[in-house]
Amino acid sequence: MIQIENLSIDLGELRLRDISLSIRDGEYMVLLGPTGVGKTVLVECVVGIHRPRAGRILVDGEDITRLYPEERNIGYVPQDYALFPNMNVARNLAYGLKARKLPAPEVQDRVERMMGLLGIAHLRHRLPLNLSGGEKQRVALGRALVTEPRVLLLDEPLSALDENLRCELAAELRRIQRAVGGTFLHVCHDFDEATDVADRIAIMNEGRLAQVGAMEDVLQRPASLFVARFTRTRNLLDATAERTGSGSRLRIGEALVLASDADSLDGPVTIGIRPEDIEIVPEAEAPAGGHCVKGTVVDIRPRPTYTEVEVDVGVALVAHDRRNGKVTESLIGKTVLVHIPPRAVKVFPRETQ
Amino acid sequence: MSGRPSARLQARLFVAGAYAACVLLVLGSCWLFLSNAGQLVPGRPVPSEAMEQWRTDTRPKAFAGAFWRDASFWRSVNLSIATSTITALVAALVGIPAAYALSRYRIPGRKLIDVLFSSIIVLPASAVGLALIVMFQHGPLYRLQQALGFKVPHTIFPGIVVAQLVLALAMGLSAWRAAFDAVPRRFEHVARSLGSSRWRAFWTVTLPAAKTGLIAGFILAWVRAMAEFGSVLIFCGTFRELPLSRFPPLNQALQMHQADFLSVAMWVEIEFGNVEYGFGIAFALVLISAASVYAIHCIGGKGYVW
Repeated sequence: MIQIENLSIDLGELRLRDISLSIRDGEYMVLLGPTGVGKTVLVECVVGIHRPRAGRILVDGEDITRLYPEERNIGYVPQDYALFPNMNVARNLAYGLKARKLPAPEVQDRVERMMGLLGIAHLRHRLPLNLSGGEKQRVALGRALVTEPRVLLLDEPLSALDENLRCELAAELRRIQRAVGGTFLHVCHDFDEATDVADRIAIMNEGRLAQVGAMEDVLQRPASLFVARFTRTRNLLDATAERTGSGSRLRIGEALVLASDADSLDGPVTIGIRPEDIEIVPEAEAPAGGHCVKGTVVDIRPRPTYTEVEVDVGVALVAHDRRNGKVTESLIGKTVLVHIPPRAVKVFPRETQ
Repeated sequence: MSGRPSARLQARLFVAGAYAACVLLVLGSCWLFLSNAGQLVPGRPVPSEAMEQWRTDTRPKAFAGAFWRDASFWRSVNLSIATSTITALVAALVGIPAAYALSRYRIPGRKLIDVLFSSIIVLPASAVGLALIVMFQHGPLYRLQQALGFKVPHTIFPGIVVAQLVLALAMGLSAWRAAFDAVPRRFEHVARSLGSSRWRAFWTVTLPAAKTGLIAGFILAWVRAMAEFGSVLIFCGTFRELPLSRFPPLNQALQMHQADFLSVAMWVEIEFGNVEYGFGIAFALVLISAASVYAIHCIGGKGYVW
């Protein structure tokens, strides 16, 4: 269990303000945000490289804010892995155990077991210079995990790898985390990467935490327009809101009126609808219950796991259709019904610029 | 190098200029040497064995004054190598920790220290020698020497070492600092997160990772010490004409008495009209410098030392 309480730090260009985050034991937490918002600084505060201006960091109830890095027992895998270039793989792994002055047979035993778990035993005599990106990542992971840290911090562990390897190693990270029952904090800027591994995600923007929660929770109830945009909500439209009994009516432009569950503010708002929440229905199969608008299919782009449909309903909407085969290119130019359920329409205060 | 034609042409011109300068230098020195070979320009005789031999010997004159047969030449080589090595060691002892501190810590006035040491590198060494003379012959340092009963200027130890140290340290410091700057701080952060103290992280990770650069820096400092001239000449002068009794027994035992620092010896020989002998020493210095630079290139090419 690691708790960050009201942490603030000022490093000139980067500053963190009032960050509170708690990671439960055995949890895989992903800290997500665009480049340059201070994710790495937060991780480095937990490692002990920077001393925060205010706030505390607690691990299992113990305040570690003022401790040296070597007294914290926190595993750290930096972005470039920082494998010690003068040591081979086995000695890299043994480094932390030797620092703890464990007897040599125990060091060897634990290094062997860790290399077995990670499948890097055949690399033991290699120097870091001669390792591939994926191998380096495993060695760095092993070096940190072999000391059984209370929490493992991974700073952009998959960013340096190519796309195929990235997916493979994301699954591998998940497997290793379950195998050792570790508490992981994984930093990345890529939303897809987060969806691959996270139990919960924390989204960061401009030195603050924008939202913390389970993936599904964040997808369905984004706390701000920034979170919505970052988690790939599309169809962001300016609207005028009007309160109704069970939610709100949203007037978009001249023609389009949508209903939403969200009990919003009156006045100018921005709405967002996730493309996969919008359903395209051929005109003949109109569903009961309404919440449908008529539109013309402008374009259809097949993707590996869905079909992207662009529909003109007075404004352009993007929908992701997963009912394979039903939506085909023959629909282009045809009139269809677009089903937009009220729960799918998220309402945010209009951003003032 | 830029791909633009004008930039390429510029680069070629530079290279051609450098080659031309080298050729001129080599041809010029050969011409000087050959035109003087076989002649003995009258001048103040230098009391060295080679000179005596030279004057009494009626056989055809030997190459470069047969400097290799002169015992005082070898004593000078001993002296130069010993003082340069001691200087480089002292510079490393002081300079490597200083370079680490400059590379890693936020020291107030770091810019000032940088400017100071960089300016020493480009300063004429004779100015350094003069500054040292003034420093050691006046004021508190002079009184301290008198009270303790020893003197620094005009001595082999520690005089030559002090004169060499200023520039060797400045040279070494910049090289060692670059070596530490090239080692990412992340290594230390990771080492410490794994439970190493700052001290152990330095010894087990930073120092080995910077090793190549540190050794190259040591050689640079050694070569700079070896190439010293102005400050040694002004701060220490020459020793060859001093009576034997003025040299401590240790110097005599190490064969470093009645000898001069090589570059100073070269100047003295030429100044006293012994041009061939001077050239001989110059060639010896060229060999030493070339060997040292070759050693640095070997390290640089491999990227590691052992």
